[in-house]
Amino acid sequence: MIDRAPQGPYPPTEAMLAEPVPQDLRDAQEDRLRKVWKTKTGIRYLMSVNNSEVGKWYSLTCFAFMLAAGVLALLMRVQLAYPGMQFLDADRFNQFFTMHGSAMMFLFAVPLFEAMAILILPAFLGARDMPFPRLSAFGYWSFLIGGVFVLGSVLFDAAPKSGWFMYPPLATMDPGVGSDIWLLGLSFIEIASIAAAVELIVGVLKCRPPGMRINTMPLYAWYVLVVGGMILFAFPPLIAGDLLFELERALDWPFFDPSRGGDPIFWQHLFWIFGHPEVYIVFLPSVAIAAMVVPTMAQRPIVGYSWIVLSAVGTGFLSFGLWVHHMFTTGLPMISLAFFSAASEAVVIPTGIQLFVFLVTLMIGNVQKSLPMLWIAGGLAIFTAGGLTGIMLAIAPFDWQVHDTYFIVAHLHYTLFGGMILPVMAGVYYFFPFFTKRVLSVRLGKWAFWLIFGGFNLTFLPMHLTGLLGMPRRVFTYQPDLGWNTLNLVSSVGAFIIAAGFLVFTYDLLRPGKPRLRERNPWNAGTLEWSDTLSDDAWGVRSIPFITSRYPLWDQPQLVDRMAQGRYYLPDAPEGYRETMVTSVIDARPVQVQRVTGDAWITLLAAVFIGGSFILPTFHHYVAGALSGMVGVGCILYWLWTSTARVPEKDMKDAGLGLSLPTYASGPQSVGWWAMWITMLGDATAFASVVFGFFFYWTADANFPPQGAAHADPWLVGLSALALVVAWALTLGARYLNRTGRTPFARAALIAGPLAALAGGGMLVLSVLHLEPSSHVYPAVVCALVIWTGVHVLVGVLMQLYCLAGTIFGKIDPDHDADLWNVSLYWHFHVLTVLVTATVIGLGPRLL
Amino acid sequence: MPGISHRQDEEEFRGATGSLFRIALSPTIWAFHFLFCYAGAAVWCAKVGTEEGITFLRLSILGLTLLALLVIGWQGWHSYRQWAPHDNDDHVEGPHRFLGHAALLLSIISFVGVVYVALPALFIETCL
Repeated sequence: MIDRAPQGPYPPTEAMLAEPVPQDLRDAQEDRLRKVWKTKTGIRYLMSVNNSEVGKWYSLTCFAFMLAAGVLALLMRVQLAYPGMQFLDADRFNQFFTMHGSAMMFLFAVPLFEAMAILILPAFLGARDMPFPRLSAFGYWSFLIGGVFVLGSVLFDAAPKSGWFMYPPLATMDPGVGSDIWLLGLSFIEIASIAAAVELIVGVLKCRPPGMRINTMPLYAWYVLVVGGMILFAFPPLIAGDLLFELERALDWPFFDPSRGGDPIFWQHLFWIFGHPEVYIVFLPSVAIAAMVVPTMAQRPIVGYSWIVLSAVGTGFLSFGLWVHHMFTTGLPMISLAFFSAASEAVVIPTGIQLFVFLVTLMIGNVQKSLPMLWIAGGLAIFTAGGLTGIMLAIAPFDWQVHDTYFIVAHLHYTLFGGMILPVMAGVYYFFPFFTKRVLSVRLGKWAFWLIFGGFNLTFLPMHLTGLLGMPRRVFTYQPDLGWNTLNLVSSVGAFIIAAGFLVFTYDLLRPGKPRLRERNPWNAGTLEWSDTLSDDAWGVRSIPFITSRYPLWDQPQLVDRMAQGRYYLPDAPEGYRETMVTSVIDARPVQVQRVTGDAWITLLAAVFIGGSFILPTFHHYVAGALSGMVGVGCILYWLWTSTARVPEKDMKDAGLGLSLPTYASGPQSVGWWAMWITMLGDATAFASVVFGFFFYWTADANFPPQGAAHADPWLVGLSALALVVAWALTLGARYLNRTGRTPFARAALIAGPLAALAGGGMLVLSVLHLEPSSHVYPAVVCALVIWTGVHVLVGVLMQLYCLAGTIFGKIDPDHDADLWNVSLYWHFHVLTVLVTATVIGLGPRLL
Repeated sequence: MPGISHRQDEEEFRGATGSLFRIALSPTIWAFHFLFCYAGAAVWCAKVGTEEGITFLRLSILGLTLLALLVIGWQGWHSYRQWAPHDNDDHVEGPHRFLGHAALLLSIISFVGVVYVALPALFIETCL
């Protein structure tokens, strides 16, 4: 075994940092770094994977989708301006409100968090890039393809029209392709979101600069960590729900059809287990922006750093106990409603704490009047109003009165504008000089703010009243004698004022000839992103600094000069690789130099073909969809094989300041292993949601499983579980045998493993072949569990074969076994899936 | 100048995941308490609650709540010990103390959260 312990002094002494770098060496280093990180031009620009490029594309795409969804809102407001208008017909109105909600949530609010995090997180952390740049690029292309597909449907009169939460039976029985477009297109985007979450979590935990301990990292990083974790637990239930929903649409498996034992309420549970945390997934990253802007504007450190961590983590947890408050009128037992009502009130505490922390910081600081501060102040005011109506709505009897009225519309827009849009706008004004090295206009910014802020209140404040007067949401028109006329007209006028504000903002954002930034740190901020050079070099940071403070630019006066002179870590790229530094989780001690993946077409191709496997089935081209999926998987395999966990040309390299670090890591030391762990956590959550379905149906229906129903063959189920346990043991054995140098035996295990796995998967399928899933929800949910497990068997087999090829072609040897560690981690999770499936479908019907 | 030994790094890794787990412990207890209350009520009311009443359910929730509060209280006390400055401490807050403080605050909020969630069982006497 190679000893990969870091060698050399750490932490660096003042004398080491003060040692000057000769000018000619500096120039040569800068040339090499510039060459390695150079952004491609022309059509090859699209190959870029660097976080700054992908982040810009991502943010601009989100913004474009937001504008499109905003136009839909304006058209709806025209229709509602007067009673009995005939501007839009009912069907088109349904498509528009569905797409407005879906696009704002799935194509703007959540992806914008990922976009902005990809864009600014590495800069906060003094990192060169995210740990998996190609994954970010893949996520972006998937988002673009999925987003254009879903949003584009509105132009062909084929958009989904059952509301953004797609309740069955309305959505399951909708005759067009709209529901399928929603389900498949958005599932594809959700998978891209999870990929981004994995990347961001690993980035925060492992890519901080040396010395930036967990209690000194910028608050933004804490929020990213919390929100990334929330995405892992919130999105998978919806993906599982989408799968069941699409099985009902395509194959008539009756998950949500009560006439055959199904239950539409189950969809509502899955949707809102996603949907409510999602509100906080949208809100927290925007508060995170405020947590970066407020200390700068107050020119002092945030008051109560740990209190912010408390509120971020606390809100993250509590937000999972609120989902039923969207379902207060579904007839659940009163005591169940009361639990959710109580938790909905409790979440106010951590949410409130962070707002008070901001206020206190501003009160005792020396506040500068500036545009970002204006937007933050507006956001706080609006969000507080939305929060107050939230407290009212959390009380079930009040909710029964206003359920599905415009009161709800007003409440949710107050929380989302105040909690998301306005803080994000603050972030855009604050970070714009950093992204582009240019400055936005203050005058236009004020115009935009007052138009949006004023227009917003004009639009949505009256809606509270419209709702209390009984106007239901989602009606395309109304009678003139109900007392809603003036209120609706005011709302419509307000909507156009908001639009005017966004027009001003968009003009300012896109107009050429904005003045150039003259100083590095225009706001005199304390965090690392403002150490960036004015020349906009693509290398991220010139050298990776040693950090000892929460606000290094305020507390470490020589830091910026020393970074720019390359006196810190990784000031050079002598081997011509893109590299960033990996550090330990709590103390951020340097542990590895990570070679990150570079520009490529393969990520774009992978996204196109995987996208095809989601989009083609919408139009029932199942064979073409499957082929496209296979090509996509091939692209991903090629990408992994050619650019991840490569055996390095040397095992240790000089990282600067006398420190020598390994260039390869496997197991818990490596970022890839962490990514696998986090991904599998999300995967396990999705699986748990399907298992939850089984028990949900058992609770909801006294006749589940139905009397005399056919069951899965218990013997085949048992044998299949046994074979898959053997396959798991063989995978683990292969890792051990390889590490101890017995390569031929490891290869034998990697040949026997897939055979055992395929046998196990085959028997599992055989055990349910006699069932008729379209006859009742019981066989349907059993078959869904088998499909889930079966697909995972195939993925597991692919991974085993990948490792087999790795041992044959020199990618894996006793000293370089990262792939084997990751694959055995996958199998740990998978064997649990197998055992749970076998227990539920084999033993469940006999025990319940 | 001290170098970094591999062993030290592995130890830190173990300590790291330990500390991060510890700050999430109290909220996780809250989550499980919530889940058990909700799932217990759902199953009880679906299967037997309409005939047999919910006294047993309410007592179970009481027991569960006391258990959850006990664990959270214990965790809060430990975090307080980790956070509170000791005599031989230098005054710079390190990650260890910080994580203690965060865990203490999270224990307090989880304690309040558990009490909130249990309150309905105090007042509501039927499934309907």
